[in-house]
Amino acid sequence: MTAGERPADASGTGRRAGEAGPDRSPVPLLRLENISISYRGHEVVHEVSLDVSPGEVVALIGPSGAGKSSLLRCVNFLEVPAAGTVYLEGRPVGFVQRRGRSVPANATALAEHRREVGMVFQNFNLFPHLTAVENVMLAQIHSLGRSKADARERALKELAHVGLASHADAKPAKCSGGQQQRIAIARALAMDPKLMLFDEPTSALDPELGIEVLTTMRRLADEGMTMIVVTHEMHFAEEVADRIVFMADGRIVEQGPARQVMREPVHERTKRFLAAVTDR
Amino acid sequence: MARILSILAAGIGQTVAITAAAFVLGAVAGFPLALMRRSPYRVLRMPAAAVIEILRSIPPIVWLFIVYYGIGSDVVKLSTFQGAVIGLGLIAAAYLAEIYRAGIDAVARGQWEAAKALALPRRATYQRVILPQALTVVTPPAATYAIGLLKDSAIASVIGATDITFRAVQETQANLHGLSVFAVAGLLYIALSVPIAAVARYTDRILAQKVAK
Repeated sequence: MTAGERPADASGTGRRAGEAGPDRSPVPLLRLENISISYRGHEVVHEVSLDVSPGEVVALIGPSGAGKSSLLRCVNFLEVPAAGTVYLEGRPVGFVQRRGRSVPANATALAEHRREVGMVFQNFNLFPHLTAVENVMLAQIHSLGRSKADARERALKELAHVGLASHADAKPAKCSGGQQQRIAIARALAMDPKLMLFDEPTSALDPELGIEVLTTMRRLADEGMTMIVVTHEMHFAEEVADRIVFMADGRIVEQGPARQVMREPVHERTKRFLAAVTDR
Repeated sequence: MARILSILAAGIGQTVAITAAAFVLGAVAGFPLALMRRSPYRVLRMPAAAVIEILRSIPPIVWLFIVYYGIGSDVVKLSTFQGAVIGLGLIAAAYLAEIYRAGIDAVARGQWEAAKALALPRRATYQRVILPQALTVVTPPAATYAIGLLKDSAIASVIGATDITFRAVQETQANLHGLSVFAVAGLLYIALSVPIAAVARYTDRILAQKVAK
Protein backbone atom coordinates (compact mmCIF):
# COMPACT_ATOMS: atom_id res chain seq x y z
CA MET A 1 0.00 0.00 0.00
CA THR A 2 1.39 3.39 -0.92
CA ALA A 3 0.58 6.58 0.89
CA GLY A 4 -1.84 7.66 -1.81
CA GLU A 5 -3.96 4.57 -1.45
CA ARG A 6 -4.38 4.95 2.26
CA PRO A 7 -7.97 5.38 3.44
CA ALA A 8 -9.10 8.90 4.15
CA ASP A 9 -9.07 8.02 7.80
CA ALA A 10 -5.27 8.35 7.89
CA SER A 11 -5.30 12.11 7.44
CA GLY A 12 -8.15 12.53 9.89
CA THR A 13 -8.24 10.82 13.22
CA GLY A 14 -6.01 7.98 12.09
CA ARG A 15 -6.77 5.81 15.01
CA ARG A 16 -8.09 2.55 13.71
CA ALA A 17 -6.05 -0.36 14.94
CA GLY A 18 -3.14 -1.22 12.68
CA GLU A 19 -3.63 1.96 10.69
CA ALA A 20 -0.70 4.19 9.84
CA GLY A 21 -0.54 7.57 11.46
CA PRO A 22 -0.67 11.12 10.11
CA ASP A 23 1.06 11.40 6.81
CA ARG A 24 3.12 14.48 6.16
CA SER A 25 5.36 13.21 3.45
CA PRO A 26 4.74 11.08 0.39
CA VAL A 27 7.45 8.63 1.45
CA PRO A 28 7.59 7.78 5.15
CA LEU A 29 11.04 7.92 6.68
CA LEU A 30 10.42 4.52 8.16
CA ARG A 31 7.91 1.92 7.16
CA LEU A 32 7.40 -1.34 8.98
CA GLU A 33 5.32 -3.68 6.88
CA ASN A 34 3.65 -6.79 8.30
CA ILE A 35 6.45 -7.36 10.80
CA SER A 36 6.33 -10.59 12.79
CA ILE A 37 8.93 -11.42 15.39
CA SER A 38 9.37 -14.79 17.06
CA TYR A 39 11.27 -15.72 20.19
CA ARG A 40 12.12 -19.40 20.53
CA GLY A 41 9.11 -20.40 18.49
CA HIS A 42 6.85 -17.99 20.34
CA GLU A 43 5.52 -15.12 18.26
CA VAL A 44 5.82 -11.83 20.18
CA VAL A 45 4.89 -9.46 17.35
CA HIS A 46 2.16 -10.33 14.85
CA GLU A 47 2.14 -8.69 11.43
CA VAL A 48 2.53 -5.13 12.65
CA SER A 49 2.71 -2.26 10.16
CA LEU A 50 3.77 1.23 11.09
CA ASP A 51 4.80 4.33 9.14
CA VAL A 52 6.86 7.13 10.65
CA SER A 53 7.12 10.47 8.85
CA PRO A 54 10.22 12.65 8.91
CA GLY A 55 10.30 14.76 12.05
CA GLU A 56 7.60 12.74 13.73
CA VAL A 57 7.86 11.62 17.35
CA VAL A 58 6.10 8.34 17.99
CA ALA A 59 5.60 6.97 21.48
CA LEU A 60 5.15 3.21 21.70
CA ILE A 61 3.25 2.36 24.85
CA GLY A 62 1.61 -0.73 26.26
CA PRO A 63 1.91 -3.40 28.92
CA SER A 64 5.16 -5.34 29.24
CA GLY A 65 5.27 -8.28 26.91
CA ALA A 66 3.31 -6.34 24.30
CA GLY A 67 6.21 -6.55 21.85
CA LYS A 68 7.10 -2.84 21.92
CA SER A 69 10.81 -3.32 22.50
CA SER A 70 11.00 -6.20 20.04
CA LEU A 71 9.36 -4.06 17.37
CA LEU A 72 11.71 -1.17 18.12
CA ARG A 73 14.78 -3.41 18.06
CA CYS A 74 13.80 -4.82 14.71
CA VAL A 75 14.05 -1.34 13.17
CA ASN A 76 17.86 -1.65 13.33
CA PHE A 77 17.87 -5.44 13.17
CA LEU A 78 19.05 -6.11 16.69
CA GLU A 79 16.01 -8.35 16.40
CA VAL A 80 15.63 -10.02 13.05
CA PRO A 81 11.98 -10.20 12.02
CA ALA A 82 10.62 -13.62 11.12
CA ALA A 83 8.51 -12.00 8.43
CA GLY A 84 7.81 -8.56 7.03
CA THR A 85 9.91 -5.76 5.65
CA VAL A 86 11.57 -2.67 7.08
CA TYR A 87 11.86 0.29 4.72
CA LEU A 88 14.03 3.33 5.40
CA GLU A 89 13.23 6.18 3.03
CA GLY A 90 11.46 3.75 0.77
CA ARG A 91 14.38 1.31 0.53
CA PRO A 92 13.90 -2.16 1.98
CA VAL A 93 16.64 -2.99 4.46
CA GLY A 94 17.94 -6.05 6.22
CA PHE A 95 17.31 -8.32 3.29
CA VAL A 96 18.71 -8.43 -0.18
CA GLN A 97 17.28 -10.01 -3.30
CA ARG A 98 19.43 -12.88 -4.44
CA ARG A 99 18.26 -15.07 -7.30
CA GLY A 100 14.72 -13.91 -6.81
CA ARG A 101 14.76 -14.81 -3.14
CA SER A 102 14.97 -12.57 -0.14
CA VAL A 103 17.96 -13.45 2.03
CA PRO A 104 19.32 -11.76 5.16
CA ALA A 105 21.74 -8.94 4.34
CA ASN A 106 25.38 -9.37 5.25
CA ALA A 107 27.07 -7.44 8.03
CA THR A 108 28.24 -4.66 5.70
CA ALA A 109 24.77 -3.92 4.39
CA LEU A 110 23.32 -4.01 7.90
CA ALA A 111 26.04 -1.67 9.16
CA GLU A 112 25.15 0.80 6.43
CA HIS A 113 21.56 0.80 7.66
CA ARG A 114 22.50 0.99 11.33
CA ARG A 115 24.67 4.03 10.70
CA GLU A 116 21.50 5.94 9.86
CA VAL A 117 19.56 4.81 12.89
CA GLY A 118 20.60 5.90 16.39
CA MET A 119 19.69 3.78 19.37
CA VAL A 120 19.46 4.53 23.08
CA PHE A 121 19.13 1.58 25.44
CA GLN A 122 17.42 1.12 28.77
CA ASN A 123 20.75 0.28 30.42
CA PHE A 124 22.76 2.92 28.52
CA ASN A 125 25.30 0.34 27.34
CA LEU A 126 28.12 2.84 27.48
CA PHE A 127 31.61 1.40 27.06
CA PRO A 128 32.81 1.34 30.69
CA HIS A 129 36.53 1.37 29.90
CA LEU A 130 36.28 4.57 27.83
CA THR A 131 35.73 8.15 28.96
CA ALA A 132 32.58 10.01 27.93
CA VAL A 133 34.29 11.73 25.03
CA GLU A 134 35.92 8.46 23.91
CA ASN A 135 32.52 6.77 24.01
CA VAL A 136 31.15 9.40 21.65
CA MET A 137 34.24 9.30 19.42
CA LEU A 138 34.63 5.56 18.92
CA ALA A 139 32.01 4.83 16.26
CA GLN A 140 32.63 8.13 14.51
CA ILE A 141 36.19 6.98 13.90
CA HIS A 142 35.68 3.29 13.20
CA SER A 143 32.27 3.34 11.63
CA LEU A 144 32.10 6.68 9.81
CA GLY A 145 35.83 7.01 9.19
CA ARG A 146 36.11 10.48 10.66
CA SER A 147 39.54 11.64 11.76
CA LYS A 148 40.35 11.54 15.44
CA ALA A 149 40.42 15.33 15.64
CA ASP A 150 37.07 15.72 13.85
CA ALA A 151 35.51 13.01 15.98
CA ARG A 152 36.76 14.65 19.14
CA GLU A 153 35.48 18.05 18.13
CA ARG A 154 32.07 16.63 17.26
CA ALA A 155 31.98 14.56 20.46
CA LEU A 156 32.68 17.60 22.61
CA LYS A 157 29.97 19.48 20.77
CA GLU A 158 27.42 16.72 21.33
CA LEU A 159 28.39 16.40 24.99
CA ALA A 160 27.97 20.15 25.42
CA HIS A 161 24.61 19.84 23.70
CA VAL A 162 23.38 17.39 26.35
CA GLY A 163 24.89 19.55 29.08
CA LEU A 164 27.88 17.36 29.86
CA ALA A 165 30.85 19.30 28.52
CA SER A 166 32.43 19.18 31.96
CA HIS A 167 32.21 15.36 32.05
CA ALA A 168 34.09 14.73 28.81
CA ASP A 169 36.99 13.00 30.51
CA ALA A 170 34.97 11.10 33.10
CA LYS A 171 34.47 7.34 32.92
CA PRO A 172 30.81 6.27 32.92
CA ALA A 173 31.11 4.81 36.43
CA LYS A 174 31.83 8.32 37.71
CA CYS A 175 28.60 9.66 36.21
CA SER A 176 25.05 9.42 37.48
CA GLY A 177 22.55 7.29 35.59
CA GLY A 178 20.97 10.34 34.03
CA GLN A 179 24.34 11.61 32.92
CA GLN A 180 25.23 8.21 31.49
CA GLN A 181 22.05 8.13 29.48
CA ARG A 182 22.73 11.61 28.14
CA ILE A 183 26.23 10.50 27.12
CA ALA A 184 24.56 7.59 25.31
CA ILE A 185 22.26 10.04 23.52
CA ALA A 186 25.26 12.16 22.53
CA ARG A 187 27.01 9.01 21.28
CA ALA A 188 24.07 8.19 19.03
CA LEU A 189 23.61 11.77 17.79
CA ALA A 190 27.25 12.12 16.80
CA MET A 191 26.55 9.60 14.02
CA ASP A 192 24.10 12.01 12.34
CA PRO A 193 21.22 9.54 12.44
CA LYS A 194 18.06 10.08 10.44
CA LEU A 195 16.05 8.38 13.10
CA MET A 196 16.50 7.85 16.83
CA LEU A 197 15.20 4.83 18.69
CA PHE A 198 14.72 4.99 22.46
CA ASP A 199 14.13 1.72 24.29
CA GLU A 200 12.68 2.65 27.68
CA PRO A 201 15.40 5.27 28.16
CA THR A 202 14.35 6.24 31.68
CA SER A 203 13.21 2.90 33.10
CA ALA A 204 16.52 2.26 34.85
CA LEU A 205 16.63 5.73 36.39
CA ASP A 206 15.31 7.38 39.51
CA PRO A 207 12.45 9.71 38.55
CA GLU A 208 14.61 12.70 39.35
CA LEU A 209 17.36 11.59 36.98
CA GLY A 210 14.82 10.49 34.40
CA ILE A 211 13.66 14.07 34.07
CA GLU A 212 17.01 15.33 32.82
CA VAL A 213 16.97 12.62 30.16
CA LEU A 214 13.40 13.45 29.17
CA THR A 215 14.30 17.12 28.97
CA THR A 216 17.13 16.29 26.61
CA MET A 217 14.79 14.15 24.50
CA ARG A 218 12.16 16.85 24.43
CA ARG A 219 14.70 19.31 23.08
CA LEU A 220 15.76 16.79 20.49
CA ALA A 221 12.13 16.46 19.40
CA ASP A 222 11.78 20.22 19.23
CA GLU A 223 14.82 20.32 16.96
CA GLY A 224 12.97 18.12 14.51
CA MET A 225 14.57 14.73 15.12
CA THR A 226 12.47 11.77 14.07
CA MET A 227 12.06 9.59 17.13
CA ILE A 228 10.43 6.35 18.18
CA VAL A 229 10.25 6.05 21.94
CA VAL A 230 9.23 2.98 23.87
CA THR A 231 8.22 4.43 27.19
CA HIS A 232 6.19 4.12 30.34
CA GLU A 233 6.36 7.88 30.90
CA MET A 234 2.81 8.83 30.00
CA HIS A 235 3.33 12.54 30.59
CA PHE A 236 6.23 12.55 28.20
CA ALA A 237 4.26 10.56 25.63
CA GLU A 238 1.34 12.94 25.80
CA GLU A 239 3.33 16.14 25.75
CA VAL A 240 6.21 15.35 23.43
CA ALA A 241 4.97 12.67 21.06
CA ASP A 242 3.01 13.55 17.94
CA ARG A 243 1.46 10.15 17.92
CA ILE A 244 0.91 7.43 20.46
CA VAL A 245 0.85 3.83 19.36
CA PHE A 246 -0.65 1.46 21.90
CA MET A 247 0.43 -2.16 21.63
CA ALA A 248 -0.81 -5.23 23.43
CA ASP A 249 -0.18 -8.91 22.79
CA GLY A 250 2.06 -8.26 19.81
CA ARG A 251 -0.39 -6.09 17.92
CA ILE A 252 -1.14 -2.40 17.54
CA VAL A 253 -4.45 -1.97 19.29
CA GLU A 254 -4.90 1.73 18.81
CA GLN A 255 -3.00 4.75 17.62
CA GLY A 256 -3.56 8.42 16.98
CA PRO A 257 -2.56 11.94 17.99
CA ALA A 258 -1.01 11.77 21.43
CA ARG A 259 -3.53 13.84 23.31
CA GLN A 260 -6.45 12.05 21.74
CA VAL A 261 -5.23 8.55 22.61
CA MET A 262 -4.42 9.64 26.15
CA ARG A 263 -7.69 11.44 26.84
CA GLU A 264 -10.24 9.68 24.70
CA PRO A 265 -9.01 6.17 24.08
CA VAL A 266 -11.42 4.15 21.96
CA HIS A 267 -10.49 0.57 22.66
CA GLU A 268 -11.34 -1.17 25.88
CA ARG A 269 -7.80 -2.55 26.14
CA THR A 270 -6.31 0.93 25.85
CA LYS A 271 -8.69 2.34 28.43
CA ARG A 272 -7.80 -0.40 30.88
CA PHE A 273 -4.09 0.14 30.37
CA LEU A 274 -4.27 3.91 30.72
CA ALA A 275 -6.44 3.65 33.79
CA ALA A 276 -3.85 1.38 35.37
CA VAL A 277 -0.81 3.53 34.61
CA THR A 278 -2.24 7.01 35.09
CA ASP A 279 -4.41 8.31 37.88
CA ARG A 280 -6.95 9.82 35.58
CA MET B 1 72.85 -27.99 51.11
CA ALA B 2 74.64 -25.23 49.30
CA ARG B 3 75.95 -27.80 46.83
CA ILE B 4 72.42 -29.11 46.15
CA LEU B 5 71.16 -25.59 45.72
CA SER B 6 73.85 -24.71 43.23
CA ILE B 7 73.22 -27.89 41.22
CA LEU B 8 69.49 -27.36 41.08
CA ALA B 9 69.76 -23.61 40.52
CA ALA B 10 71.50 -24.37 37.26
CA GLY B 11 68.14 -25.67 36.06
CA ILE B 12 66.22 -22.50 36.90
CA GLY B 13 67.01 -21.04 33.49
CA GLN B 14 65.44 -24.02 31.66
CA THR B 15 62.40 -24.12 33.94
CA VAL B 16 61.73 -20.42 33.53
CA ALA B 17 62.42 -20.46 29.79
CA ILE B 18 60.16 -23.48 29.13
CA THR B 19 57.37 -21.99 31.24
CA ALA B 20 57.60 -18.55 29.68
CA ALA B 21 57.91 -19.77 26.09
CA ALA B 22 55.08 -22.31 26.48
CA PHE B 23 52.86 -19.66 28.06
CA VAL B 24 53.53 -17.19 25.26
CA LEU B 25 52.87 -19.87 22.64
CA GLY B 26 49.65 -20.80 24.45
CA ALA B 27 48.57 -17.18 24.88
CA VAL B 28 49.03 -16.49 21.18
CA ALA B 29 47.68 -19.76 19.76
CA GLY B 30 44.83 -19.80 22.25
CA PHE B 31 43.34 -16.64 20.83
CA PRO B 32 42.35 -17.88 17.35
CA LEU B 33 41.18 -21.11 19.00
CA ALA B 34 38.88 -19.12 21.27
CA LEU B 35 37.49 -17.10 18.37
CA MET B 36 36.91 -20.27 16.34
CA ARG B 37 35.22 -21.84 19.34
CA ARG B 38 32.77 -18.90 19.43
CA SER B 39 32.24 -18.80 15.69
CA PRO B 40 28.70 -19.10 14.36
CA TYR B 41 30.08 -21.45 11.70
CA ARG B 42 30.27 -25.14 12.49
CA VAL B 43 33.27 -25.68 10.22
CA LEU B 44 35.28 -23.41 12.50
CA ARG B 45 33.67 -24.27 15.79
CA MET B 46 33.88 -28.05 15.59
CA PRO B 47 37.60 -28.48 14.86
CA ALA B 48 38.48 -25.94 17.55
CA ALA B 49 36.32 -27.77 20.06
CA ALA B 50 37.91 -31.08 19.06
CA VAL B 51 41.47 -29.78 19.36
CA ILE B 52 40.76 -28.23 22.75
CA GLU B 53 39.10 -31.38 24.03
CA ILE B 54 41.93 -33.63 22.82
CA LEU B 55 44.67 -31.45 24.28
CA ARG B 56 42.92 -31.27 27.63
CA SER B 57 42.18 -34.99 27.79
CA ILE B 58 45.64 -36.41 27.13
CA PRO B 59 47.90 -36.44 30.22
CA PRO B 60 50.67 -33.87 29.67
CA ILE B 61 53.37 -36.50 30.11
CA VAL B 62 51.85 -38.67 27.37
CA TRP B 63 51.38 -35.67 25.13
CA LEU B 64 55.04 -34.66 25.59
CA PHE B 65 56.16 -38.13 24.56
CA ILE B 66 53.92 -37.95 21.51
CA VAL B 67 55.32 -34.56 20.52
CA TYR B 68 58.95 -35.32 21.28
CA TYR B 69 59.31 -38.93 20.20
CA GLY B 70 56.51 -39.04 17.66
CA ILE B 71 56.59 -35.80 15.75
CA GLY B 72 60.02 -34.84 16.98
CA SER B 73 62.05 -37.74 15.60
CA ASP B 74 59.91 -38.86 12.68
CA VAL B 75 59.08 -35.56 11.07
CA VAL B 76 61.36 -32.80 12.26
CA LYS B 77 64.23 -32.86 14.67
CA LEU B 78 63.26 -31.16 17.93
CA SER B 79 65.56 -30.28 20.79
CA THR B 80 64.30 -31.26 24.24
CA PHE B 81 63.63 -27.58 24.88
CA GLN B 82 61.63 -27.18 21.66
CA GLY B 83 59.72 -30.38 22.34
CA ALA B 84 58.83 -29.21 25.84
CA VAL B 85 57.77 -25.74 24.70
CA ILE B 86 55.64 -26.99 21.81
CA GLY B 87 54.09 -29.78 23.86
CA LEU B 88 53.26 -27.68 26.91
CA GLY B 89 52.48 -24.64 24.75
CA LEU B 90 49.75 -26.47 22.84
CA ILE B 91 48.17 -27.68 26.04
CA ALA B 92 48.36 -24.11 27.34
CA ALA B 93 46.67 -22.92 24.13
CA ALA B 94 43.74 -25.25 24.79
CA TYR B 95 43.28 -24.09 28.39
CA LEU B 96 43.84 -20.42 27.62
CA ALA B 97 41.38 -20.62 24.71
CA GLU B 98 38.71 -21.68 27.18
CA ILE B 99 39.76 -18.91 29.58
CA TYR B 100 39.58 -16.35 26.74
CA ARG B 101 36.22 -17.68 25.67
CA ALA B 102 34.84 -17.32 29.19
CA GLY B 103 36.31 -13.80 29.32
CA ILE B 104 34.65 -12.78 26.07
CA ASP B 105 31.35 -14.36 27.11
CA ALA B 106 31.52 -12.42 30.38
CA VAL B 107 31.27 -9.09 28.55
CA ALA B 108 27.69 -7.88 28.86
CA ARG B 109 25.41 -8.54 25.89
CA GLY B 110 24.53 -4.85 25.85
CA GLN B 111 28.10 -4.05 24.83
CA TRP B 112 27.73 -6.11 21.66
CA GLU B 113 24.36 -4.53 20.99
CA ALA B 114 25.69 -1.01 21.45
CA ALA B 115 28.55 -1.80 19.08
CA LYS B 116 26.12 -3.23 16.54
CA ALA B 117 23.73 -0.31 16.84
CA LEU B 118 26.66 2.04 16.22
CA ALA B 119 27.60 0.00 13.13
CA LEU B 120 31.03 -0.64 14.59
CA PRO B 121 32.93 -3.07 12.35
CA ARG B 122 33.70 -6.48 13.80
CA ARG B 123 37.39 -5.79 14.22
CA ALA B 124 36.87 -2.52 16.07
CA THR B 125 34.18 -4.17 18.19
CA TYR B 126 36.68 -6.76 19.38
CA GLN B 127 39.69 -4.47 19.65
CA ARG B 128 38.08 -1.43 21.21
CA VAL B 129 35.07 -2.74 23.09
CA ILE B 130 35.09 -6.45 23.89
CA LEU B 131 38.73 -7.44 24.42
CA PRO B 132 39.68 -4.57 26.75
CA GLN B 133 36.81 -5.62 29.00
CA ALA B 134 37.48 -9.34 28.62
CA LEU B 135 41.10 -8.77 29.64
CA THR B 136 40.18 -7.96 33.24
CA VAL B 137 38.16 -11.16 33.46
CA VAL B 138 40.89 -13.23 31.84
CA THR B 139 43.90 -12.07 33.88
CA PRO B 140 43.29 -13.90 37.19
CA PRO B 141 42.60 -17.36 35.71
CA ALA B 142 45.40 -16.90 33.16
CA ALA B 143 47.82 -16.11 35.99
CA THR B 144 46.65 -19.16 37.90
CA TYR B 145 47.27 -21.19 34.79
CA ALA B 146 50.77 -19.69 34.42
CA ILE B 147 51.65 -20.85 37.93
CA GLY B 148 50.23 -24.29 37.16
CA LEU B 149 52.31 -24.34 34.00
CA LEU B 150 55.47 -23.53 35.97
CA LYS B 151 54.84 -26.64 38.02
CA ASP B 152 53.84 -28.76 35.03
CA SER B 153 57.05 -27.76 33.29
CA ALA B 154 58.71 -30.32 35.58
CA ILE B 155 57.28 -32.94 33.23
CA ALA B 156 59.71 -31.67 30.59
CA SER B 157 62.43 -33.45 32.54
CA VAL B 158 61.13 -36.80 31.28
CA ILE B 159 62.15 -35.94 27.74
CA GLY B 160 65.45 -34.68 29.03
CA ALA B 161 65.03 -30.94 29.32
CA THR B 162 67.65 -29.94 31.86
CA ASP B 163 65.35 -28.07 34.22
CA ILE B 164 65.22 -28.06 38.02
CA THR B 165 63.46 -31.41 38.26
CA PHE B 166 65.80 -33.09 35.76
CA ARG B 167 68.77 -32.04 37.82
CA ALA B 168 67.10 -33.10 41.04
CA VAL B 169 66.46 -36.57 39.63
CA GLN B 170 70.06 -36.87 38.44
CA GLU B 171 71.47 -35.72 41.74
CA THR B 172 69.24 -38.14 43.64
CA GLN B 173 70.26 -41.06 41.47
CA ALA B 174 73.93 -40.16 41.89
CA ASN B 175 74.00 -39.52 45.62
CA LEU B 176 70.83 -41.04 47.08
CA HIS B 177 69.70 -38.16 49.26
CA GLY B 178 66.34 -37.63 47.62
CA LEU B 179 64.48 -35.94 50.43
CA SER B 180 66.74 -32.93 50.77
CA VAL B 181 67.23 -32.62 47.01
CA PHE B 182 63.52 -32.59 46.25
CA ALA B 183 62.79 -30.35 49.25
CA VAL B 184 65.18 -27.80 47.77
CA ALA B 185 63.55 -28.29 44.34
CA GLY B 186 60.17 -27.61 45.93
CA LEU B 187 61.46 -24.43 47.54
CA LEU B 188 62.84 -23.25 44.21
CA TYR B 189 59.45 -23.75 42.54
CA ILE B 190 57.77 -21.80 45.33
CA ALA B 191 60.31 -18.99 44.95
CA LEU B 192 59.59 -18.83 41.23
CA SER B 193 55.80 -18.82 41.51
CA VAL B 194 55.66 -16.00 44.06
CA PRO B 195 56.76 -13.32 41.58
CA ILE B 196 54.27 -14.59 38.97
CA ALA B 197 51.45 -14.20 41.48
CA ALA B 198 52.70 -10.74 42.42
CA VAL B 199 52.84 -9.60 38.80
CA ALA B 200 49.35 -11.02 38.24
CA ARG B 201 47.93 -9.14 41.22
CA TYR B 202 49.56 -5.93 40.06
CA THR B 203 48.26 -6.30 36.48
CA ASP B 204 44.83 -7.14 37.79
CA ARG B 205 44.72 -3.99 39.89
CA ILE B 206 45.84 -1.75 37.03
CA LEU B 207 43.29 -3.26 34.65
CA ALA B 208 40.46 -3.03 37.16
CA GLN B 209 41.22 0.65 37.67
CA LYS B 210 41.27 1.25 33.96
CA VAL B 211 37.86 -0.28 33.40
CA ALA B 212 35.91 0.76 36.45
CA LYS B 213 36.92 4.28 37.41
